[in-house]
Amino acid sequence: MSSDPEKMMSKADKMTKLTLTRWSADWRGATELYEQAANGFRASNKYEKAKVALEKASKGQEMQSSPWDAAKHMESAAALAQKLSIWNEVADFYRKASELYVECGRAQPASDALGKAARALEDVKPDDAIQLYTDACEILEEDGRDQMAFDLYRACANVYIKLEKFTDAATFFLRLGVAADKCDATNSQCKAYLSAIIVYLYAHDLKQAEKCYNDCSQIDAFLKSDQNRSASRLLTAYNEGDIEEIKKVASSSTVSNLDNVIIKLARKLPTGDVTAIQMNMGDDLDEDDLT
Amino acid sequence: MGIVDLITRVDSICKKYDKYDLDKQREANISGDDAFSRLYSAVESALEAVLQKTEELSSVTNRAKAVAMNAEIRRTKARLLEGIPKLQRLALKKVKGLSSEELDARNDLVLSLRDKIEAIPESSAPVVSGWAASTSYSNIRFDTNVSDDRIGSEYFKPTEESDQFKQEYEMKRIKQDQGLDFIAEGLDTLKNMAQDINEELDRQEPLMDEIDTKIDKAATDLKSTNVRLKDTVTKLRSSRNFCIDIILLCILLGIAAFIYNSVK
Repeated sequence: MSSDPEKMMSKADKMTKLTLTRWSADWRGATELYEQAANGFRASNKYEKAKVALEKASKGQEMQSSPWDAAKHMESAAALAQKLSIWNEVADFYRKASELYVECGRAQPASDALGKAARALEDVKPDDAIQLYTDACEILEEDGRDQMAFDLYRACANVYIKLEKFTDAATFFLRLGVAADKCDATNSQCKAYLSAIIVYLYAHDLKQAEKCYNDCSQIDAFLKSDQNRSASRLLTAYNEGDIEEIKKVASSSTVSNLDNVIIKLARKLPTGDVTAIQMNMGDDLDEDDLT
Repeated sequence: MGIVDLITRVDSICKKYDKYDLDKQREANISGDDAFSRLYSAVESALEAVLQKTEELSSVTNRAKAVAMNAEIRRTKARLLEGIPKLQRLALKKVKGLSSEELDARNDLVLSLRDKIEAIPESSAPVVSGWAASTSYSNIRFDTNVSDDRIGSEYFKPTEESDQFKQEYEMKRIKQDQGLDFIAEGLDTLKNMAQDINEELDRQEPLMDEIDTKIDKAATDLKSTNVRLKDTVTKLRSSRNFCIDIILLCILLGIAAFIYNSVK
């Protein structure tokens, strides 16, 4: 067997092509050759060729009905594509790998694959990244492993915040809360709710924030937590237009335990004119009282 | 009913029916002319009134009332203390119809009376400070109010030393608050870390269970494979088979040699 990867590739290709002399493709031998060729290419830093070799190896494994190996090859191919910055291929390969993992019945590696894809695409194609994160979370939830989904939810919400889509980010935090509720992870749940409230406040949406707070207060676990107290302090400070108090709550230890992105948002509070909000609220109340 | 109750009841009954006690009446008549005894009884009754007031004080819940009562008690105490020297002078005077022992006894009486009067504030002061302590524990802001009242009352005269001491005390308290805040922050961080560790462990528990079952399965597979392998190997390389192989080989060689010999 020649050690030249090119030769191995051509040989393997010949093995898989159906001709008059060959009635059935020899996938086993071909796959072996493909794998060896890929290793050779990787050693010589020819990433493009290695990627192609891995793709073909994966196909071979699939034909041999071993989806696990196929998925593994796909992932390696995707990693190489990431190195080469061919982004749509990255997404495709990781998706294919994830599907193969699901075929094996292994949800965790499937969502891991999608998570890796999303992380790779975060900076370049954030919308695709969000889609990948959502799919990853769904796979885990279907399998009943919600706890693994926390990190994915958080990462997704961070991407949303980067894109300045605050309502979506808050929605994702609330979804995190639901997932945490299912596994009795009260600490994560309360932190998620507090993060959602802070996001709403950052988006200068006081009514939405209050609504969110009222909804969250229905939940016992949140009601008895430190995060609840911080949230109520923050909202009262907002209602009274007390900037000092807002800053004090934002730099308190409860907020500093949240995600880095949220801490940054909290430190930038209050956005816009807090006193204006307070005046408007005051006027509304006066009118109601008089009439 | 306990003994104490019995005693108090008996005392009150006796007091009620004192006017029927002839002996005591005679004594009182005798000392009716004596200035000392008159003054002494007056002081004694005032002392009793003050003691009653201190008892009331402990049951009063209104802080302002308590302070007012305290002030009144102190005023009465001051007046009584003023009356004591006069009483002492009277005690030393010789009176008709009194023995020398009783004279000395009178002096002692006066001294004991004085001690009793001086003992009064001590019973009221703890009440007040206890008050301050409890308010300072429940609500930090109250403390300054109590100290203001103390300044206002005539008993407390602020001197430079006491001002300095108060300042020092305030500074130390502020430092203590700062230290406690620092500790609180550290505890918050610890609490958060502990909760996160808790959740992480919860997360890893099912994974560990899975690993456990998988490894158990792998171990049993390995064991059965080993046993089968051992069987095969013993079957292949057992000494009995070796001997049989060697014997058969010798027989074959023997047959070959025989054929060779016969052909030659």
